[in-house]
Amino acid sequence: MIPCKPTATKLTLFILSLVVFTAFNKVSAQDGKALFQAKCQSCHNIFKDLTGPALMGLEERHTWSDHKELLAWINNPGGYMAKDAYTTGLKAKFGSVMTGFPDVTLKDVDAIVSYINSEVANRNKQPQGEQTGEAVSKSSSQNAVIFGVISLILAIIAMVLMQVNSNLKKMSDDAEGIERPEPVPFYRNKVYIAMIAIFFFIVGGYFVTKGAIGLQRQVNYEPKQPIYYSHKVHAGINQINCLYCHGNAWESKSAAIPSVNVCMNCHKAIQSYEKGPKLYDEDGNEINGTAEIQKLYKYAGFDPKNAAAWDPSKAKPIEWVKIHNLPDHVFFSHAQHVRAGNVQCQTCHGEITAMDEVKQVSELSMGWCVNCHRQTKVQFNYDSTKGNQFYSIYEKFHNDIKNGKMDSVTVKDIGGLECQKCHY
Amino acid sequence: MKKFLIITGCVTVTALAVSCSSRNPGRAYMPDMADSRAYETYAPVQERLDASATPGAQFHGGPVEGTIARGDMLGSKLLKDTIGSYASSAGIKNPLAAGSVDLKEAERLYLVNCGICHGPKLDGNGPLWKDGNGPYPAAPKNLMGDDMKATSEGTIFHVATYGKGQMGSYASQLSTKQRWEVVAYIKSKQFPAGSTAKADSTAPKAAADSTKAAVK
Repeated sequence: MIPCKPTATKLTLFILSLVVFTAFNKVSAQDGKALFQAKCQSCHNIFKDLTGPALMGLEERHTWSDHKELLAWINNPGGYMAKDAYTTGLKAKFGSVMTGFPDVTLKDVDAIVSYINSEVANRNKQPQGEQTGEAVSKSSSQNAVIFGVISLILAIIAMVLMQVNSNLKKMSDDAEGIERPEPVPFYRNKVYIAMIAIFFFIVGGYFVTKGAIGLQRQVNYEPKQPIYYSHKVHAGINQINCLYCHGNAWESKSAAIPSVNVCMNCHKAIQSYEKGPKLYDEDGNEINGTAEIQKLYKYAGFDPKNAAAWDPSKAKPIEWVKIHNLPDHVFFSHAQHVRAGNVQCQTCHGEITAMDEVKQVSELSMGWCVNCHRQTKVQFNYDSTKGNQFYSIYEKFHNDIKNGKMDSVTVKDIGGLECQKCHY
Repeated sequence: MKKFLIITGCVTVTALAVSCSSRNPGRAYMPDMADSRAYETYAPVQERLDASATPGAQFHGGPVEGTIARGDMLGSKLLKDTIGSYASSAGIKNPLAAGSVDLKEAERLYLVNCGICHGPKLDGNGPLWKDGNGPYPAAPKNLMGDDMKATSEGTIFHVATYGKGQMGSYASQLSTKQRWEVVAYIKSKQFPAGSTAKADSTAPKAAADSTKAAVK
């Protein structure tokens, strides 16, 4: 047993040192994470070029394997660049010089680099996401066709059985020798004909009337847009305010369609669709989000590999298809409804935050407008100093409310049903 | 039996005609008064621009250069800072008088336009970043950090106007006045009433700055 002892001690020592070493390593990686978050990640991502280059594989580039060189660059980028061609090239590529961090020490650089390396190793360890294409669920229209075919078959069977029944009856009558007059076939039977005529009159009349009323109304209209833009992803999952893109709804008649530079505010950096659910269009086809972002870049004239050279003024407008169309003879102002009336976007446009492709939910008919004007209570402010001052001129109503004569004012009361309010 | 077939055929055709696709906007009857003859917002503009080349045409695709919207303020005359020192912009003071800014409206503007990245609490943790779990790959600036507290109003305004790093220009979404209102809001949050220590440590540095007044 005795000869074994030194080996055991050695082993314990080794294990101990290993534990200590890995623990230290972990601590430094954690420090590196904090440092990276505090100093670097505003401009650098580990895997992607942003304002500055991707930091993955940093040590293989230039002389950065020597952390002292790296430190000299980080502490004083301007001074370092003056005598170094590589970093001058970086400036040309990215369009700006890195901000200097004079307070960073060599230990900090080691920690940051080890954090970056550990992140790269982590990512390489992870198995590639399984791209199992889920079977696209059968759309409801297919079901309707199946039901239609089934009922047609059943109807034919019923007809055949009826025919068989009458034939059998005739045969049994012949066998028993009962004489009956030749039965009138159903298509000459006046009762049948009258019933069918009335049925078709009602059904046809229903569809004709419905079709005539629906002329130029576009409920459920869901056009294919030049870019598959999911409101669900943007306004729902990522909680972008409606007014971020459609800010004019607050100020003017029409809610703005955002120009390309508004898209590029975020998509300059967000170059691929990764962290959201799978996307399907109305027809059930799977959509590649990253490819749709590439379409945006085509309009914007943006090259992700050469982001610094992008000139927003060269962008071409995207020709979105207008969904909500009001005829010219009616006036509608978004500002009046959104700002003065405090109406939520969803009241008229439906659950936009749950729609991938937007469709028209409301009828946008006059009856629909008038109904809402009859029922909606105006958000009167009862305090003359604060809040919505738009209705302050309706003195009589304010007094009536104060005296308890009225408990609320609807849009109808302030002239919401006057013809000239919307038609002039 | 033949008549029956004809009737079924008619019903099927009607049903198909009624159930039209949602990709189709439907039909209009006599849309004379539905389509505007005057130019409407977002109507196609190229045809009119081409026609405006002829003498006597009364159409212009945009506002006359140099005009400002009613109620708005004169814009900044500084060009984009390409060096990153922000020396010329640092000295610009907010032209809105301190008490005149409606901070409630300014807060609304901030939450709509800025909060998505910089966070409703100005801590640089908006829904697009979400501690690194959001889709945005770069960490937005923490506006409550000491460096941002030291950044002058003029520089924040300049960055909101031209963008910096990954941030784009907000000049198309916020008017000059609105941008100054947002700046006032950010400053009011950085230095809540009481703490009057308004540090403007980024004093204009050396003259090495490309941002000279735009000559126009």
